Amino acid sequence: MPDLEVKKVTVRYKEKIAIKDASFEANSGEIVGFIGADGSGKSSLMHAIAGVKKFEGEILFKGHIYHNPKEAERIKQHIGLMPQGIGLVLYPLLTVKEHLDFFTAIRNLKKDDEYLQYRERLLKMVGLFEFQNRQAGHLSGGMQQKLSLICTLIHKPKLLILDEPTTGVDPVSRRELWQIIDEIRKKDNIIALISTGYMQEAERMDKILLFENGQIIAKGTAEELKELVKNYVYLETECKEECFSFAKRTYSLKPLNVPHADPELEAVFFINALKKYKNIPEINVEEREIKIEIPEVVMEAIGLTKRFNNFIANDHIDMVLKRGEILGLLGANGAGKTTFIKMLLGLHPIDEGQLILLGKKIESYKDRLELKSKIGYVSQKFALYKDMTIRENLIYFANMHQIPMSKALKKIDKLADGLGFKEYMDYLPTELPLGINQRFSVAVAILHEPVILFLDEPTSGVDAIARAQLWKLLHQLKQKWGISILITTHYMSEAEYCDRVVVLKQGKKIIDDTPQNLYQKFPDAKNFEDIFIKFHEEKN
Amino acid sequence: MNTGIIKAYILKEITELFRSKFIIMVYLLPTMIILLFGYGIRLEVTHSRTVILDYDKSKLSKDLISKFEHSKYFDTKVSNTTEDNILNEIKKGKVDVFIIIPENFEKRILKGQKTEIGVFVDSSLPMRGTIMQGYVEGEILNAAQDYIKNIPIRNLITINNRNLFNQSMRDENAIVPGLIGIILFVAPAILSALLIVKEKETGTIFNFYSSPVGKFDFLISKLSVPFFLHSINIFILFLWATYLFQVPFRGNFFIYWITSEIYILISLSIGLFISIITRTQIVALIATVIVTILPGFLYSGIIMPISSMTGSAYIEAHLFPVMYFNHIIYDSFLIGQGFSSEKNVIYFGILIFYAFALLTLGTLFMKKEMR
Ligand SMILES: Nc1ncnc2c1ncn2[C@@H]1O[C@H](COP(=O)(O)OP(=O)(O)OP(=O)(O)O)[C@@H](O)[C@H]1O
Ligand SMILES: [Mg+2]
Repeated sequence: MPDLEVKKVTVRYKEKIAIKDASFEANSGEIVGFIGADGSGKSSLMHAIAGVKKFEGEILFKGHIYHNPKEAERIKQHIGLMPQGIGLVLYPLLTVKEHLDFFTAIRNLKKDDEYLQYRERLLKMVGLFEFQNRQAGHLSGGMQQKLSLICTLIHKPKLLILDEPTTGVDPVSRRELWQIIDEIRKKDNIIALISTGYMQEAERMDKILLFENGQIIAKGTAEELKELVKNYVYLETECKEECFSFAKRTYSLKPLNVPHADPELEAVFFINALKKYKNIPEINVEEREIKIEIPEVVMEAIGLTKRFNNFIANDHIDMVLKRGEILGLLGANGAGKTTFIKMLLGLHPIDEGQLILLGKKIESYKDRLELKSKIGYVSQKFALYKDMTIRENLIYFANMHQIPMSKALKKIDKLADGLGFKEYMDYLPTELPLGINQRFSVAVAILHEPVILFLDEPTSGVDAIARAQLWKLLHQLKQKWGISILITTHYMSEAEYCDRVVVLKQGKKIIDDTPQNLYQKFPDAKNFEDIFIKFHEEKN
Repeated sequence: MNTGIIKAYILKEITELFRSKFIIMVYLLPTMIILLFGYGIRLEVTHSRTVILDYDKSKLSKDLISKFEHSKYFDTKVSNTTEDNILNEIKKGKVDVFIIIPENFEKRILKGQKTEIGVFVDSSLPMRGTIMQGYVEGEILNAAQDYIKNIPIRNLITINNRNLFNQSMRDENAIVPGLIGIILFVAPAILSALLIVKEKETGTIFNFYSSPVGKFDFLISKLSVPFFLHSINIFILFLWATYLFQVPFRGNFFIYWITSEIYILISLSIGLFISIITRTQIVALIATVIVTILPGFLYSGIIMPISSMTGSAYIEAHLFPVMYFNHIIYDSFLIGQGFSSEKNVIYFGILIFYAFALLTLGTLFMKKEMR
C-alpha cells in the first residue's frame, strides 16, 4: 500500500471549483512535483492534503484516513506546509532567531544536541546564520523565502508540502535547497510534494503531476511528459495558426515543415495552452500616444551607497541605463538589488553617491516629483489594494496618473487581453494566485506609458506561458516606445533576453557585460545559470 | 493545554506589540477617551416625565404647574393619588420626576416664612438625574420669584431634593463610570479582533492551521494578551476617575475589579466573533467599533435611561451586556450597595453567563481551516 493516497479530492471556494477529483499516490522517499499554469489548482490540492482546507474525497497517510481538516489534526505533527507567497508565514517584526524559537515551541521540539546541530545546519545552508538578529521584515525577498523554508523544516516533517518554495530564491541557494531536500528524503524517508515554476527543478522529481484548469491532466516522469508533446515541438519558424514561438522554438498543433526540436518541460505548458485556447493571444503594443524625446542615457548612478546601521547593502555602485535598453540586474538573495532599485526610486534615501535620471541630477524630493510620470515600477512584494477588485485597482491607478476614463478603460482591456488576465478582472487580488497578481502589477506599471521601467522580479512565481508573454511585451515596449527597463530576476534563462546584465554580490558590482560576451568568457557553460554559479563559487 | 505553545504565542504577540509600538495605543486610547469625554460631554435632557402633587392649590402653585407644563424639559401631569403610589411609579421607571407642593405654600411665602418643596428624581441614571434636578430647581425658583418680586425667594424655599440613589450629583459622577463601561467594552474587543485578523490578513495564520497547535491553545494565547493588557486599564481608569475627576468610590473595590475583568472577557469574545467573519484588519477595526461603541453609548445610561426605554429599545438594552455592567459600576462608585443588593448579584450572574456563553460560542464557531 502506498504511504500517501489521495482519492478523488475536490476543493471548492464558494461556487468555484479549484480542483476536481484529483487522485494520486506517493511512497516514502519520493518527491512529487506539482506543475501547471497559475490558478490551475495546485495550491488548493496542497491545502487539502495539509488539512487546512475543507475538501471532498479521501486522503490516506500512513494508515490515517482523513476527509476534512478536523480528521487531519492527528497527522499535523508530521506535516510541514509552506504556502505560496513571499514571506507569507513570517512575522516581519520578529528576528530570524525568534522565528526559529517560535516554530520550535509550537512544534513541541526538545532542544537537545541533535536539534541544535540540525538548526545550525539549516541556518548555514540558507545563509542566514550571520543574520539571526535581523528582523524578518528587513530581510530581502529571497532571504524571507529561505527563512520560511527552514521554519517548515525545523520539525523534520514526514510529509513535506512546499508551494513554490524556490520562487525568488537565487540559483545557488536553489541548488543547496534541493540538496537538503534530497538528503532528508533519503535519510528520513519523507514524502515531499513540491510545486514549482522552474522546469529544471521539475525534471529532478520522481513523479510529476500536470495540472490544468482544476484537474490533473497528466502524470509521469519528466521524460514521459515530454514524450507526450514531442511531436508538437519544432525549431523556430514563422507560423500562423495554433502555434506559438518562444526562445528558439515553435510549438504548433498543426504539422510544420521544419525539423523537430528537443522538447523541454516548458513545452508541456505551451502545448496545453494551445490546445485550450487554440491561439495564445499575441501581445501587441501600440505606438506611444504622445511622441517624446528621450535622452541617450536615461539613468546614471555614480557610487551609489546604502547602509543599514553598520551593514552596507549597496557599496559604491556605478550603473548606466541607456535609451531602449533592457538591463538585467542579477545577484544572490540579499545582494542588494531591491535596495538599489528603491534608492533609484527614492524609497530609500541615498547615503552616498550621485544619481542622474533623464538628464536631471536628483537632489531633492521635488526633482523626483517631476519625473514621476516618466517612471514605472513593479515591486517585489505585491502592491495592489486588497479590498478592490483587479478592475477597480487598474482604474484607480489610471486615475492617479490622470488618464481620461474612456481611454483608460480601453487600455486596461487591451492589457488584460495581452497579459492574459481578462477572466480575472472582477476578482479581489487575494483570491488569485501569485502569478496572476504579478501580471496586474506589470499592467499597472505601464498604464501611464513611462520612459523608464523598474521591474523587481516581475516573473517570480509566474507560469511559463505568462513569463514568455511578459518578455514579449517587454521587447515590444522597448521597440515601440523606446522604453528602458531595469529588471531583476532569478530565472537565469531570462538573463539571455537582456541586452546587458549587471551582477551584484554582497552589495558590490562584480559584472557589467552583455550575455554574449559572458558566454565567450565561459565557453564550457551550458547555460547562464552555470555562469552565475561560477561567479558565486569562485570567490567564496 | 500546552503551556509551551501558549507561552511562545504570548511572547510573540507581546514582542510584536512592543516593536510595532501598538502597545502605546493600548494604554493611550482608554485614557484619551476618558479624558476627552469626561470633560467634554454635557447633555441636555428633555421631556422628563414629571408628576406634581399639589396640596396647596393656590395661585402660586397653579403658576408653578403651568410653568412646568410649558417647558420642553418636562412632560407634566398633575396627580391626585398618594405619594407612595407615585414613588412606586418612579421605582418602576414610569416617572422621572416627582414634585410635592406642600399645603400653605403660597401663604407661607407671602408671610416671609420658610417653606419646603419636595422633589424626587430618578437617578438610576445619575447623569440624567443631575440634569433633571437642576432644571427642576431652576423652574421652581424662577416661577416663585416672578410671583413675588421683592423678597429674595432663594432664602424662603428649600428644595428638598431626594435623589433616589445618589445624593451628591455632579456631571463627572454621572459620566465617568459610564465611560469606563464603554472603554472596557470597546478596547479589548478591538485588540483581540486585530490580533487574530492580522494573522489572517498577512497569511501567518497558516502556521496555526498547518501545525498541531490546538484551537484552545491558540485562542487562550490570543485572548490572554488583550485580557492582561487591558486588566491594567481597569486600574488606570479607576485612578483617573477617583483622582482626576474626583468621583467618589463608595463600593467594594473587589466587586469593581472582578466585574470589570468579566466584562473584558465579554468584550474579548465580541472581538473573537468579529475576527471569525472578517479578513482584513481595517474591516475588523471598523466592524468592532460599530458593534461595540453604539450599544456601549446607547445602553450606558448616559444618553437615555434604560427605564424610560420602551418596546424594542428596552429589550435591546437588556440583550446587551453593557447595561448590567453599568448598573454594577455605578453602584460601586456612587451607592455602594454591592452584593447586598439582589439586583447587583443577578446582574453579576448575567455577566458571568454572557462571558461564558459568548466565549464558548466563539470557540465553537472558529474553524481551524481556510475559508
Ligand atoms: N531596512 C533594512 N534594515 C536592515 N537591513 C536591510 C533593510 N533592508 C534591506 N536590508 C538588507 O540589505 C540586504 C540587501 O537586501 P535587498 O532586498 O536589496 O536584496 P535583493 O538583492 O533584492 O535580494 P532578493 O533576491 O532576495 O530579493 C539584505 O541583507 C537585507 O537584509
Ligand atoms: Mg529583492
